[in-house]
Amino acid sequence: MIRKGMIILVLVTLMAPCVFAQRVHIDIQAQSFKKFKIAMPAYTGQSDLAASLWSSCAKALRVSGVFDVLDPRGYITTAALAEIAPGTLKDWSLIGADYVVTGAASSSAGNVSMTFQVIDLSTSRKILNAQYTTQQGSAYRAVHAFVDALLESSLGIEPLFKTKIVAIREEEGRKQLYVCWPDGTGGQTIRGGGNLVLNPAWSPDGKKIAFVSYWRNNPDLYLLDVASNKVRLISGLQGINSAPSFDQTGNHIACTLSIDGRPELYLIDLATSGRVRLTDSWATDTSPSLCPGGNDLVFCSSRAGSPQIYHMEFSSKKVRRLTFEGGYNTEPACSPKGGLIAFTHLASDRQFHIALIRTDGSSMRVLPGSGRGDESPTFSPDGRLVAFASFDGDLYVSDLMGVAPVKITEGGGFQEPSWSNVMK
Amino acid sequence: MKIGYRGFVVVLVVSVMFLVTGCAKKAVAPPEVEVTPPVVETPKVTTEMDMAEMVDPEVEARRILDQEMAEFENRDISFEFDKFNLTPEARKILAEKASFLNANPGVNILIEGHCDERGTREYNLALGDRRANSAKDYLVFLGIRPDRISTISYGKERPLDPASNEEAWAKNRRANFVILNK
Repeated sequence: MIRKGMIILVLVTLMAPCVFAQRVHIDIQAQSFKKFKIAMPAYTGQSDLAASLWSSCAKALRVSGVFDVLDPRGYITTAALAEIAPGTLKDWSLIGADYVVTGAASSSAGNVSMTFQVIDLSTSRKILNAQYTTQQGSAYRAVHAFVDALLESSLGIEPLFKTKIVAIREEEGRKQLYVCWPDGTGGQTIRGGGNLVLNPAWSPDGKKIAFVSYWRNNPDLYLLDVASNKVRLISGLQGINSAPSFDQTGNHIACTLSIDGRPELYLIDLATSGRVRLTDSWATDTSPSLCPGGNDLVFCSSRAGSPQIYHMEFSSKKVRRLTFEGGYNTEPACSPKGGLIAFTHLASDRQFHIALIRTDGSSMRVLPGSGRGDESPTFSPDGRLVAFASFDGDLYVSDLMGVAPVKITEGGGFQEPSWSNVMK
Repeated sequence: MKIGYRGFVVVLVVSVMFLVTGCAKKAVAPPEVEVTPPVVETPKVTTEMDMAEMVDPEVEARRILDQEMAEFENRDISFEFDKFNLTPEARKILAEKASFLNANPGVNILIEGHCDERGTREYNLALGDRRANSAKDYLVFLGIRPDRISTISYGKERPLDPASNEEAWAKNRRANFVILNK
């Protein structure tokens, strides 16, 4: 069951993705970074299939955080094109495009073939020419393979569509694990685990998911092996066992336990089940996030009277408060590349927003977000993007400027996303 | 002024129209209904005891206990936003619960800690845990053995009222009491 749900068997044949261009180093983290504009005429081929693949591709490009797709209503040529005639390049640069992408779709015997070409208008050269074949039901994987190839060849960015997002999905009163690609495609509910599942977190190798379940009528911590669908209890102590966060090695989990009467942070060794208590305060300590490097973590504590973000160094156990703006700052997530922390912030507009702060507590920035109240940020493994949940229950992916987050789910019921590393 | 006058005329015309239609409706006579006077029953005076009133004292005691248990379970205690300390009102309710528990030493209970929807899930899970433990600690202070009381936090996962307003939030910030062995 889980096999079907999680591992979508896709045949992606990479027919010589010819990479002509030289990789240019561009600092996509810089505040001044402007997204590249892509003109993408309608794809050729059977019209329904071509139109649906075009939409999938436009969304996947926007989710990548580095590309904007120009509105086709502004194109000089509005016809479907399988490739761009050399003499017409000016038509595309004239409307402000940096790249022009063409696609041709065809289907036969239950398979879909997509051919993509990309021209870099700054050099007038073809930088990508690739064909991908997939099964009919998972044609979006051809789009994913293309977008990953384009990210790699044009910007040297690590593949986005070899990562997944796990979240909680509420359906018919049940909350269960849900896994999808970062653009929301391929979504699958992982059945089992009880009726109330919370706080999912990917292991660094992407093979396991730690989560909280009330299966034994107590919030206990479990570990799911995704491939075998086997679940093991990590911690089922009296009180809460919640908020798991893996370290980089995948051997330890930081979490919240209230076995001693109040919620404190602990580090659990997954091999021995031994636990070490990290905090000791009268207050509520929760939501640990282990920072890359393994020397420190960030967490949420109400020790100053309201929930705020704190940083702890393991060796000295020294704790430092990082947030001073706003009376409600929770759920910190350390960027896998270091330097930044994302968290949930009750802003001056009395709405919850995702905010970013440097690890030294400086340069706090509030993301505009969905406008519906946002929570539970999680970084992409390359630290370029954050996914979060809106209070009305949809998942969004945003770049770190957060101007136009892309809504990746429909219909609500989604909570607490956690982004995986690149899966092998 | 002109607009005001015109508006007045419109209102006047509309009101007249209502009046006319109102009158028209009234003109239709309703079918006449014959009203029968209510029958007044005189209570039977008897010196005999009704069989139904003869109850088994054990059954009666059980009925009273069931009622007390229902009351125990139906009465939540409330908390302020992002707080887990007990209000005087909450202490009063807990003291009543302690007296029930003292009178019924065989009863074990579960205290569920809940939060309103504002704020984040992980934090509210911890806050709900603290609310349940605040209630437990006070009952223990009042002499109830700690092993008779279990706690569980549901954070913001089990709201009593799903609405997003002050009234609903106040209802949802609660500790709820469940009797485990009825």
